[in-house]
Amino acid sequence: MSAVKRVQQWATFARTWHVFDCKWQDPYESAGVIKKYLMGLHKPIYHPMNDCGDVVVCINSREIALRGNDWRQRAYFHHTGYPGGATWTLAWELHSKDPTMIIKKAVYRALKGNLQRRHTMERLLIYPGETIPDDIKQNITNQIRQIRLVPTRLDHIPEEEVQKYPKVMEYPEDYVLK
Amino acid sequence: MNSLVRAGFSFAKNAVVSTSIRSISITRQLNLKELRERTEGSTLVVEGVTVPSPRTNLLVRAEDLAGFEPSEGTAEKPCYMCSLGLDVKHTDVLILSQFVRSDGCMLPRRITGLCKRQQKKIGKLVTMAQKAGLMINLTPANCQKDPKKRRLYKKFNTYFDEKTIFMWRIPKPTDRFKR
Repeated sequence: MSAVKRVQQWATFARTWHVFDCKWQDPYESAGVIKKYLMGLHKPIYHPMNDCGDVVVCINSREIALRGNDWRQRAYFHHTGYPGGATWTLAWELHSKDPTMIIKKAVYRALKGNLQRRHTMERLLIYPGETIPDDIKQNITNQIRQIRLVPTRLDHIPEEEVQKYPKVMEYPEDYVLK
Repeated sequence: MNSLVRAGFSFAKNAVVSTSIRSISITRQLNLKELRERTEGSTLVVEGVTVPSPRTNLLVRAEDLAGFEPSEGTAEKPCYMCSLGLDVKHTDVLILSQFVRSDGCMLPRRITGLCKRQQKKIGKLVTMAQKAGLMINLTPANCQKDPKKRRLYKKFNTYFDEKTIFMWRIPKPTDRFKR
């Protein structure tokens, strides 16, 4: 067995720690990717009865991006069990109360509702900012690729790059610049 | 009686004053101009300065590109964005900022020279970029530019799907009973 194969073997059986940057990512799209790593679906030895799932550390969960008008239209339902105990919390309300909750619920929903779900969710760690505790940071060996490109603001692009960029629109001859 | 007098006065004023003022032009017409205001002592001088169009050497047109084939058959020429065939997203702020005035308003079609469909599409993309807070230096003054400073649901990051722009243009189903 070559050295590369041996390491691959170890990596398959070890519990790998992945980091996922949620900045400008859709939580419902990224839940599908996170789920794959949490359950160990990316490993060749995957079987529902063996415990081969990895740990995923989500950072920057405060910076997630929802599509269109989802922030005010998506509602999260909760019922206390008592009569009249139903509440509907909008996504922006939930996110301002707890910035980790939306991504947590998205992954929880993406997982299949069996007895393993609660145990798989234990392996998901979410942090609202960029800072990770040191004891967790030292375990991380892999980074999951982001799904969407993080957009760049126009005022953050340097001026000479803006001036060098090709032009599509030409002003008509009689235009007064404003 | 009073309104009649006022209407007659304004008509006379228009006939005499405004036309005579408008017919005077000191600088050359049909050239890109910029209005500059400066104060000399107690007088305000407003002058239209002829300026070269910015970045003209970087202008991209489909005709100039290699491998361009003009479409035959149709009498109507496609507009420059249609013939370029770019897949513009709302995050392409370097392209979208060319269609916007310095105060953040979309330029009208007589100035952009786009076809109706492209004008509508670019206008909506500009709105998306401004709502997502990607063009905060080119956004109307009355809106809170930086999303972090906005209130309620507007303060969080939002992205948009470009497929939603022409949502209503669903092709009509063919008439199955037509003979």
